[in-house]
Amino acid sequence: MIFLLMNAALATPPPGLMPALESELERATTELKLQDEAPPYWVSYDVVDGEFATFFAEMGAVLSSDVVPYRIMRVETRAGDASYDSGNFDAFGESNGVLSVRLPLDNDETAFRRSIWLATDASYKQAVEQLSRKRAELPPSDPAVSELPAMLPAEPVVDLSGGPLPLDPEGVKSTVVYLSKVLSEYPELEQGQAAGRDWQGQRITVSSEGTRLVTDTGYTVIRVEAVLKHSDGSRLRNGRWWVARTAAELPPMEEMEAEVREMAEWLVALEDAPVLKEYLGPVLFEEIASVELYRQLAAGEFVGTPPEAQGRGMFGEAPISRPTARVGRRLMPAGWTVVDDPNAQEAGRYSRDQEGVPGERVVLIEDGVVRRSLNSRIPSKGAEKSTGHGRSMGAERREALPSNVQVSAKRARAERALRRKGLRMAAQTQNEGLLVIRRIEPPAMSEDMDITFMGEGPGAGLTRPYEAYLLMPDGSEQPVRGLQFSGVDRRALRDVVLAGETAAPVGVMDGPPGPERFYIGAVGGLPGSWAVPAVLVSELELDGGGGGDQRVLARPE
Amino acid sequence: MLPQLLFLLLPSLAAQQAPQAPGPNARPVGAAEPAPMLQVARDAVDHTMADLEDQDEPPYHLAIGVTQSHSLSLSASNGAIMSRNEDWNRYADLDLRVGEFALDNTHKLLDAGWFSEEGRSVVRLPVGDGADDMDAAELTLWRELDDSYQQAVRRMTKVRANQAVKVERDDPSDDFSPAPKVVDIRPVQDVALSEAWEDSLREVSSVFLEYPDVLKSGVEVTAEAETFLLANSEGTQIQHTRVRYRASVYAVSVADDGAQLAVYDYLDASTEEGLPDAETLTELAHVAAQRVTDLKKAPLLEPYTGPAILRGRAAGVFFHEIFGHRIEGHRQKDEDEGQTFTDMVGEQVLPDFISVVDDPTIRSMAGLDLNGTYPYDDEGVVAQKVSLVDHGELQGFLMSRAPIEGIDSSNGHGRRQPGNAIVARQGNLIVQAHESVPYEELREMLIKQVVAQDKPFGLIVDDITGGFTLTGRVTPNSFNVRPVSVWRVYADGRPDELVRGGDFIGTPLTTFSRILAAGDDPEVFNGVCGAESGWVPVSAVSPSLLLEEIEVQRKEKENDRPPLLPAPPAPEGKSKSVADATQEPA
Repeated sequence: MIFLLMNAALATPPPGLMPALESELERATTELKLQDEAPPYWVSYDVVDGEFATFFAEMGAVLSSDVVPYRIMRVETRAGDASYDSGNFDAFGESNGVLSVRLPLDNDETAFRRSIWLATDASYKQAVEQLSRKRAELPPSDPAVSELPAMLPAEPVVDLSGGPLPLDPEGVKSTVVYLSKVLSEYPELEQGQAAGRDWQGQRITVSSEGTRLVTDTGYTVIRVEAVLKHSDGSRLRNGRWWVARTAAELPPMEEMEAEVREMAEWLVALEDAPVLKEYLGPVLFEEIASVELYRQLAAGEFVGTPPEAQGRGMFGEAPISRPTARVGRRLMPAGWTVVDDPNAQEAGRYSRDQEGVPGERVVLIEDGVVRRSLNSRIPSKGAEKSTGHGRSMGAERREALPSNVQVSAKRARAERALRRKGLRMAAQTQNEGLLVIRRIEPPAMSEDMDITFMGEGPGAGLTRPYEAYLLMPDGSEQPVRGLQFSGVDRRALRDVVLAGETAAPVGVMDGPPGPERFYIGAVGGLPGSWAVPAVLVSELELDGGGGGDQRVLARPE
Repeated sequence: MLPQLLFLLLPSLAAQQAPQAPGPNARPVGAAEPAPMLQVARDAVDHTMADLEDQDEPPYHLAIGVTQSHSLSLSASNGAIMSRNEDWNRYADLDLRVGEFALDNTHKLLDAGWFSEEGRSVVRLPVGDGADDMDAAELTLWRELDDSYQQAVRRMTKVRANQAVKVERDDPSDDFSPAPKVVDIRPVQDVALSEAWEDSLREVSSVFLEYPDVLKSGVEVTAEAETFLLANSEGTQIQHTRVRYRASVYAVSVADDGAQLAVYDYLDASTEEGLPDAETLTELAHVAAQRVTDLKKAPLLEPYTGPAILRGRAAGVFFHEIFGHRIEGHRQKDEDEGQTFTDMVGEQVLPDFISVVDDPTIRSMAGLDLNGTYPYDDEGVVAQKVSLVDHGELQGFLMSRAPIEGIDSSNGHGRRQPGNAIVARQGNLIVQAHESVPYEELREMLIKQVVAQDKPFGLIVDDITGGFTLTGRVTPNSFNVRPVSVWRVYADGRPDELVRGGDFIGTPLTTFSRILAAGDDPEVFNGVCGAESGWVPVSAVSPSLLLEEIEVQRKEKENDRPPLLPAPPAPEGKSKSVADATQEPA
């Protein structure tokens, strides 16, 4: 076998790469031109250079173990000018001037240039076509674009001092194997998997605006999921996950193991738990569940990036676009504050976003009202500049995405106060106990295709609870199973009647608000963190069910 | 209902694999001992059959096939390494049947919609051989076997209802046939690539920099050891490894009309030592680069009918597509199929100087290792040489364990890619000419045909990218063979002229009747074939064939202009300068 792994031994930037990028940028901006068409007015190269280490294990056994070098260049070319260009237009799947290509792993300037040359050529031709499509459907005089610049401004930056953070593939692999092995100690479980990825690299940006930037990029994620087949045939799942900027920042193994055991024990205990067929009444979300409640329902309300502009409809009608963050709108009760801070030392931290803009701490919600939005360089009404939140996966456009979000309430109460109040409200609504949601499955792990396909649309809801119980008036906790939310949307956040004390941040892997969140896979997406207190919501509806094929074949001894 | 569309392509091995890298526990290599995983599979078969024996609908057959692979690939382009991949995988396929041989849960549902079939998924197993791996594998197999059993019982209910509602089939043969127990444990083998390949590939890939018209190019070396384990309820236990190495080159250019021109060439071997050295690969790279350079300047081939020679590899693909797929057994009983040859056994279907066999037991021919060689098929039946056509007369069909009327047992051609249901597939399809002529004589015969038919030229196809055929009843039973390079041959002594942009099309029976002569130059086509049961490695061996008439249609093409800017300059000595870009390469 000839393959040696290059653990974090990456040169910063790789020799030969910067001259190659500079040379091809120079050619692209001075020589590249189609007859009768303008040359590109904006070109950006974004090379992501690093290593992915990805592992899957089941019950202590490795299912797959991959450590691969990764060197991909995203090239974006814009045709047009600073007031109106080929960007931000929905081409219905057509090429739009943004593409990704693999670059050589060897640091060879000639080979780099060949790849960059062909990618730039293709990108420019796509941009020219995209501009013509946009002009035909959405001319510069259209009110949807006439009042906005093509791109929000950003100061060019020259800083080549960044580089990748350490990679720890063996550490992540052993963690994944060990945590999945813990699950093998629970014979009631029929499936126990762990997945992990350590991705560390550097992002090298060279643009026609003058930016020359090297920054670190990456994350470490561990996910564990177990499945128990209930004797009535129900398939019950539970999971745990940890997201950190590097493997060294993961919690200690003992802490993760304790959580995995807690998860497994919860599942095993569900054998005796009843199916709660319906529930209409107050619901208490513990802190971890609150993270999912807020990130699934609220994030889309303070992300300022509008959807790509649409062309005309079949009959020439102007499209209706869904509004994004609406500054001035009440989203939460009075006294609530939401802040996003990429500089906070949590899983979603970065100094500059993928467009080279410094990450800005933004107070998004004050006193329950949306005050500002997160923005990338994609223009939107009211936004004068990027807040440094432009990120995307792969060749997608740089949308504003939350980084480290802190949600807090002015009047925070102790947990017991939330429980007392919730029990009173449950009694008033004729419920035998207060429904408490301890954990909700992250969208990436959801198996509910209906929610997946609906995304943030009108029928969107919350993913299923992993862990829920009824808090009885005598203080006892009765686990329940089979629940799913019904008809929950962002308006539920206004119905929060009490909030707990300040919560610790929880690392998450995320995608843009909407269906893409469901497609990121077990170890994909972009890292972030959310700190959300426990909350008591006055009324929510949940439906329940259970049953299915029971096992026929005896489990081998 | 979709037509049966069957593809044959020439991807490199790595093209079928996700890029992945280093691996699990080392496995014992070389010893002819059962792999631990085989024991787990055998135990799972025994346990399942015994435990479900008392069910109302007990399984009557169960096979667990495990495919474990270790693959390596290394590629370079423009003098630099582009990728290094290593991949370990282990997948299980479960074939659990309820009912009986005559009628079981796999029986085809007539007039069923697309959503009437339950999905079939491959089962991923741990890649190591340790105790934890085997425990996890045992648990996974139990879970999946239970799911398979319940799915089989549900489908059996549908099958019985479908039988009651629909008319009787033309072919009343059973759904499955017994097979003799086989126990054959062979040593597990592994693959490796030496470090020296890195420098070799850098050097060879830099050859393309000398050709200004070559836009994209690459050199790749791949290695794969695929170990197949099978345990079934008949007591069969099989363990064998298939090792494949390939070195390949490709070059891509764009013609002024936007057509993408690609030339791919490769050499296969069963050992690393059997791979070509750097000198041979360099020559291969030069030939590929020169060919796309020439193709860029070549005129387009317009729609045409006339005489043609299909040279070795092209003739192999031609036979694979238009003949090979039509003699796969399951197509003879599927009433959605065209069933071209179903009722023609004993009849003349080819010229009497042609015989065709499929022989997966042959390891090499014409100096090349064959891709379609295997000792047992995926149902545990020993691979057998099958005479398909003898002196032009149809003899039989390729059979899996699904019988057809008149043939009630397998001849060792049940194959699949993991995750698919097994059907009869080709292995090494070999066309034999009992009367043959040297190639130069065949070429003279072509020119005589041009004159006799009063045609402006004849055609010689000397390389192909692949092809496909339609075998169903809904669509015309046609084929399409996709050449890379075709030459116009003139009767007046003008030099042959390279042309591009045409595909060869036709229908099987008509085309077979036009075969006039064969060369004495058998060539091997190694590739992978995609059909209902996924991608399987195959070979097709054929001499050059002279056809009285073949039809050319325009090839689908791309429309992007060539790059606007010249290629960036290569370092001194690596390439011609940009200023030389329009000159012919040496």
